[in-house]
Amino acid sequence: MKLKITYPQPERRRLRRRRLLEILRWPFLFAALVCPALNLVTGGSAWSIVVLISLYTVWTLVLSPDLVEYNRISQFIKLIVCCCALLISVDLFLAPGWAVEVVPIVCFGALAVSAVLFFTDLERQKQNMLPLLMLIFFAIAGSAAGLALWREESRWALAVMGVTAVTLLAACAVTLGSEFLRELRRRFHTR
Amino acid sequence: MKQDTRDRFRGYTESLSEEDSDLLRTFFAEFDAHCLIADAEKRKLRSDFERAIIYFSDAGLPLRRALERLDPANLGGFYARPPVLWFPLDDAAKVYPLSMEQGRMSVFRLSVYLRRDVVPELLQMALNFTIKRFPSFATTLKKGFFWHYLDTTKRRFCVERESSVPCEPLRVARSGSQSFRVVYFANRISVEFFHVLTDGTGGMIFLKSLAAEYLRLTGVSIPAGETVWDPNTEPDAEEFENAFARVPLSQGASGFVERAAVQMSGELCKTKPCRIIHLKMSASALKSAASKYHSTVTSFLLALMFIAGRTATDELHGEASIQVPVNMRKFYPSRTVRNFSMYCGIRLPLDTKTDVASLASDIDRQLRQKASREAMSEMLTATERLVAALKYFPLALKQPAARLVYGFLGDRIFSNTLSNLGVVPLPAEMAEHIESMDFVLGTAITNRACCALVTVGDTATFSITKMTADPTFEEKMHRLLSENGVPVTAEGSELYET
Repeated sequence: MKLKITYPQPERRRLRRRRLLEILRWPFLFAALVCPALNLVTGGSAWSIVVLISLYTVWTLVLSPDLVEYNRISQFIKLIVCCCALLISVDLFLAPGWAVEVVPIVCFGALAVSAVLFFTDLERQKQNMLPLLMLIFFAIAGSAAGLALWREESRWALAVMGVTAVTLLAACAVTLGSEFLRELRRRFHTR
Repeated sequence: MKQDTRDRFRGYTESLSEEDSDLLRTFFAEFDAHCLIADAEKRKLRSDFERAIIYFSDAGLPLRRALERLDPANLGGFYARPPVLWFPLDDAAKVYPLSMEQGRMSVFRLSVYLRRDVVPELLQMALNFTIKRFPSFATTLKKGFFWHYLDTTKRRFCVERESSVPCEPLRVARSGSQSFRVVYFANRISVEFFHVLTDGTGGMIFLKSLAAEYLRLTGVSIPAGETVWDPNTEPDAEEFENAFARVPLSQGASGFVERAAVQMSGELCKTKPCRIIHLKMSASALKSAASKYHSTVTSFLLALMFIAGRTATDELHGEASIQVPVNMRKFYPSRTVRNFSMYCGIRLPLDTKTDVASLASDIDRQLRQKASREAMSEMLTATERLVAALKYFPLALKQPAARLVYGFLGDRIFSNTLSNLGVVPLPAEMAEHIESMDFVLGTAITNRACCALVTVGDTATFSITKMTADPTFEEKMHRLLSENGVPVTAEGSELYET
């Protein structure tokens, strides 16, 4: 069958990048299988869980980035969520006793940075509000739950995180006005 | 390049007479009034106008006539208003963003071949003028808490020279990313759509409207109609509705699960698709070949595909199954350009009949039964029920589950696909500038080929998207068509993977 070529040669660069990413995934999968096995064999603290979370962080942020909603706010918040998960796992499995103070401080910082990212490019970033709303929601819920759980102790970091989240939510609502409600309708539609 | 255009345009304006300079000033004042978007996007749009003006000047068209063709009023109010509209995904589209993965996305491509090479400057302007008529296309895919949705984006939608593998996944992740791609190469204009936007019928309306606007800019007047939309008319709600919601639900609901079908035996390529092949033939010859077997063109081609598929597999037993998309508009008339199609599977055992006549009659019978209004209503009811059952599950849970199910089932229940868009009606004024069209389906997971057919005038183009380097299937199809009195010319791409 004689075929007349009517298509251009594709750019090799794009094909090579895809292949490179495919190849890079294998060492990650290998490490993800070997570390828990090694941990089980050698015993001791569950350090492999920390390794798995670290691997997942690099995987999801670098090797397999989001296919929808890849923007500065979503990626920053994703990084913060992974970091918090990593801090909590280190606290739980390796060196306990400090995460309850450190994680709210990290979240407070994340809320502040997200606010800067959001308000400095409002026109575009208002389309990217869902990750910010989720962070605010979890910060408020985490703060309320933490303060209820450790009522006897002074947990100033949790309180600061909660207050910052509520303030940021109010700032978003005031700045966007009716658009805020419209954005909520879009983001939470079930149709 | 940008600087070069700017310098050329500056040089051009300096060479104009006083009268022409005034004309141009008024023209760009009107452009400013129609374009109230972000500065970076506005600059790009303005640059498109400048490039088109330079093109017309080089072509010897007087400035006044060039500016008439490029009238900024053609932008309408699209770029003068903030984005407000949003569209929940239609029932068929919901699965596409859920099941996509790195390097895998449901993309299909429609192309039109003009009688002359494409002028990129005018194609870009045609897109700038056409996009406002298709508000559901001027969108970006976003994540909601429960479902994805399409959010309007006011940006300059760009036209590119073709430089990648056809149906390559689109980058829809960034803020304001477009979910379709307009590319050109020689005399071909192609639009690649992410399936969340539209199906073949809707995509064809967009492509024809874009091509008509392009031809208008080249000086050809094309009358608008039902399938070639005038970009300057107002969009209508019915054109962008989720037409599935209007279909009455049936009593029964048929599922999607079937037995795995036999696949062709060639090794799957890493680059998908690894080749595109177009078999171009006379539509009347194809029709008369089909009528020899008292069958339709679709049944005839399906019969040939079964025979060719059988040649391309080493399996001796099992069932081959070809997926046939069914346009729901023929049962429930709708003007929607969103997805409004379902599908059925034509199944035949490998170890029975081999002659075209008996296969075609068996396929005819199956098509009458499986692509009937009742069968489609049952499938649609099943889809509706599934969507309703899942609607309150957060997307974060639905997405991994959908990927798991899709990865497990995938397209294994089918061996191949045949999507027949039928005869594309064109106004006579447009038809004389168009050589042919083609329709390329996107990639599959395990299927080694996907086929599509579209007919314009007397040219029927049967396109094969290949996922394996093994050439048996297309060679057999070519031979079978020739043996049945349908002369075929083959066009396509090089093998992208060697």
